[in-house]
Amino acid sequence: MIRLIRFLANLCFAGSFLAFALGTLGLFRLPDPYTRLHGVGMGDTLGVGLAGLGLFLLSPTWALRIKLVIVLVLFWTINPTMTHLVAKAGLIHGVYPVEGTKVIKE
Amino acid sequence: MRKRSLLLCALLVAFWLAVSAEVDMQHLLVGAVLAILTVWFWQDLGPRLPRLLSAGELLLLGHCLLTLVRFIIQSNIAVAKTILLSSPPVGPVFAVMRPPIESNWGRVLLANCITITPGTVTVDIDPKTGQFIVHVLTGEAAAELFNWQIIREISHLESWKRRRTEHAMATGRSHDTDSFRALTGDHRSDSH
Repeated sequence: MIRLIRFLANLCFAGSFLAFALGTLGLFRLPDPYTRLHGVGMGDTLGVGLAGLGLFLLSPTWALRIKLVIVLVLFWTINPTMTHLVAKAGLIHGVYPVEGTKVIKE
Repeated sequence: MRKRSLLLCALLVAFWLAVSAEVDMQHLLVGAVLAILTVWFWQDLGPRLPRLLSAGELLLLGHCLLTLVRFIIQSNIAVAKTILLSSPPVGPVFAVMRPPIESNWGRVLLANCITITPGTVTVDIDPKTGQFIVHVLTGEAAAELFNWQIIREISHLESWKRRRTEHAMATGRSHDTDSFRALTGDHRSDSH
């Protein structure tokens, strides 16, 4: 049972590493600050989530697990707010999107 | 009102103890004093807080969050494919949309759901018209965003909550008047 839990936790850590690695690759591949936010978003959502799940599985006590859940909930609440602020600040201060960016209405 | 303040105090103390290194009399006392001070300092915020959620609303919210987790995983895979396989990598789009959501909390919830899903970032919301400007990584994702399931779920949750609040007001439960004002963003009678 302990081996299975360790295996699942390691799987989560590997997934988290992959998400962060792809997000970082996105920073280089994507052309402007707005699109780079999407790349970084991968690490912020799935990357942090999987790392948290792995740590949750390995935690020795429930007090530690509850703290981890609180950290994750706070992270997933604060992170989109800050991402939104970065994008809005970019728009207000005249950061141009990459050429070819379209505007479509519903 | 007093009941709500007590509940907030208890929740704050519970949060304090959860994030404290250990539970002893010192941590408990400091937590209790800080919780009472915090609730006293923010007492004007009380009427603007929404009423406690009913079991039905909690179920709807839970379903909405589970759907969101599914979308987050799907969009992570889609963004990973876009980063790795597309060349040129993206055809980004600013999508302008007006989802059928009228309350402030509904718009904030939707904006957070949009931004937490990789591939879409809420750039701006007009509080008067409810118009969202969303930066989307690809055109296909923008087309999907216009008919996003989460928008329908939040709209459903909002109409459910509105019906309950209106029913509570009709039956004369006074504390629901406050939450109705919070729901509609009406704070005209606030004197400060």
